[in-house]
Amino acid sequence: MNFKIPNFVKTNQFGLLCLVIIFICIFSFSTDGFTSRFNIYALSRVVALDIMIGLAMMVVILTGGLNLSLGALGVSAAMFGGWCMESMGIPISISIILVLAFGSFLGWINGFVTVRTGVHSFIVTLATMSIYFGFMTLLTEAEAFRKLPEIFTDFGSLKLFNKYISPLLIISVLTCFILYYVFKYTDIGRKLIAAGANPDAAELSGISVDRMFIYCHMLSGFLAALAGIMLTARIGAAIPSMAGHLGFDWLLPAFLAPVLGGTLLSGGKVTVFGTMLGAILVTLINNGLYLIDVGEFWVRFFLGMILLGAVLLDRAREYFTVKNSIVS
Amino acid sequence: MSNLLKKDWFGLGLVIILGSILISFFKPAFISPFNLYVLMLSVSLMLVVAMSQMIIIAIGQMNLSVGAIGGLVAISFTGLMEVYSMSILPAMLIGLLIGLACGFINGYITVKTGISAFIITLATLYIFKGMNLGITEAQPFYEIPDAVKFFGNAKILGPIPYLVIIPIIITILMWILMNRTSLGRYMLAYGNNVQSSELIGISSTKIVIYAHVISGLLAAIGGMLVVCRLQLGTPNIGDSWLLPSFAAPVIGGAILAGGKVDVIATAFGVILVSIISQALVIFKIDPFFVQIFLGFMILLAVFINRYREYREERRTKVFSYE
Repeated sequence: MNFKIPNFVKTNQFGLLCLVIIFICIFSFSTDGFTSRFNIYALSRVVALDIMIGLAMMVVILTGGLNLSLGALGVSAAMFGGWCMESMGIPISISIILVLAFGSFLGWINGFVTVRTGVHSFIVTLATMSIYFGFMTLLTEAEAFRKLPEIFTDFGSLKLFNKYISPLLIISVLTCFILYYVFKYTDIGRKLIAAGANPDAAELSGISVDRMFIYCHMLSGFLAALAGIMLTARIGAAIPSMAGHLGFDWLLPAFLAPVLGGTLLSGGKVTVFGTMLGAILVTLINNGLYLIDVGEFWVRFFLGMILLGAVLLDRAREYFTVKNSIVS
Repeated sequence: MSNLLKKDWFGLGLVIILGSILISFFKPAFISPFNLYVLMLSVSLMLVVAMSQMIIIAIGQMNLSVGAIGGLVAISFTGLMEVYSMSILPAMLIGLLIGLACGFINGYITVKTGISAFIITLATLYIFKGMNLGITEAQPFYEIPDAVKFFGNAKILGPIPYLVIIPIIITILMWILMNRTSLGRYMLAYGNNVQSSELIGISSTKIVIYAHVISGLLAAIGGMLVVCRLQLGTPNIGDSWLLPSFAAPVIGGAILAGGKVDVIATAFGVILVSIISQALVIFKIDPFFVQIFLGFMILLAVFINRYREYREERRTKVFSYE
């Protein structure tokens, strides 16, 4: 009766890892070309972006809020970068720093308004989403920047490790490790989590919750801007419609990755590597759906079903683990 | 009089009247019959969409799939008439039934799992939209019966379109529901405080499912009205509903945490948004500004609501000291 399941097995990440492995097996046996060098390289480029978008959403979910303006913010930042590099001729490195600062600033606006009005960040970012996207379309006149410096666009199409992996993926994985370190071992990271988990308790123990929430939104803006830059490098141009109307194409991967990864929507819990695994799973399924030829129009339907299935499964897992802990 | 001043809709009404006078002073074209006709059309469509979102806001949740339900019903409605050559009435009933079913799915899953409605309706948004695209393969249906086209085009009297009838009836019914029936009051009680509403014996399951079903039905009606107006069923109907659906109730003073909505103020919010969008067009301002403007209006409304709450708090505090 004293059989104990190792703690690691009970975690969400373990389940995700199993799912990822199962899906890889299914797709590599049932379809040709899944394990081809070209497909793996293409996958690595997509996964890199999905991870970054997922992380950008995760840091806001930490506060118990969400960031609908993610896509609009990322595209605005990317267009700003295109303008810096193409129209102003600013060197690439300085442009990237400017873009990241710009993204953080847009995130700061989200955070500031949310904290000051006390309104749920949903409505604030819904408003800023249309403001950012509207200004971006207005200022760029919906024109793309296609003559970016070659070093920058070449980086996006670079192939590493025997031409299997895109350097973009390395940036994303590196960001994961940095975020993990920040949340796990630094003072500020712990404060961010504390503020998200129990704002009242955090406030009483001397943490400025408002400031922490603003930091989370700034970090989200920073990561979204980084995702925007990566997408620009991948496409080789900064295009206003690259994340769909109002940046909505980013929204599903943004929520899927953290939710699959076990981030609580009520806030106070982050799972950096869970988010990474979640993003990998989403990309795998997306890619697999195309490969088994489900028809491009049904892909959205299946993604929606998977999100629904994921949250229901997560609910079931929670239910069973709670029941287990009560019994023991 | 002082009671009137406290109402949410009073200030909005004042802004609408003064704004209209000001705009028509600078641009007399604003009160031309054609412009009024266009204005009424856009008001009547958005009214239904706003009500669909408002009822979910009343119970303290949000429904991202309003547009997706509207789109799915719109293409089913036209598809049934074109491909299966069904007559209008059964196609309409099936359309309503689809809206009802979509709403029921949203409500049932939300209340049974306890997962936030945001994430459930995000998932169903993709499911409904995916079904829409899967069925249509992104191609519109063009064959619409003449009666439907007539309903979308004809005018009752002067510039007043037929299309305005249904939204007005819906608004009146919604007002009765929220203000005069126990179901509406229970919804507000649930939105205000879930625990205490359960303790006084209100069934959460019933309230949440009813609210989502009504929301689904209204979204379905909205989708079919757009078909009448556009004279075709395109798969992208409903794609742009999200922002205006939240804008009107929030401008009308709804509190997103639930428990407080105002049907008349929401209707006035819709009118205000439509007038401003129309004015921007008349003054030949870039159409992209409309979107920016809508965003700023939401933020402004949020700040004003916050300020009023703050003043209310201060006032009650003074009384409690006395």
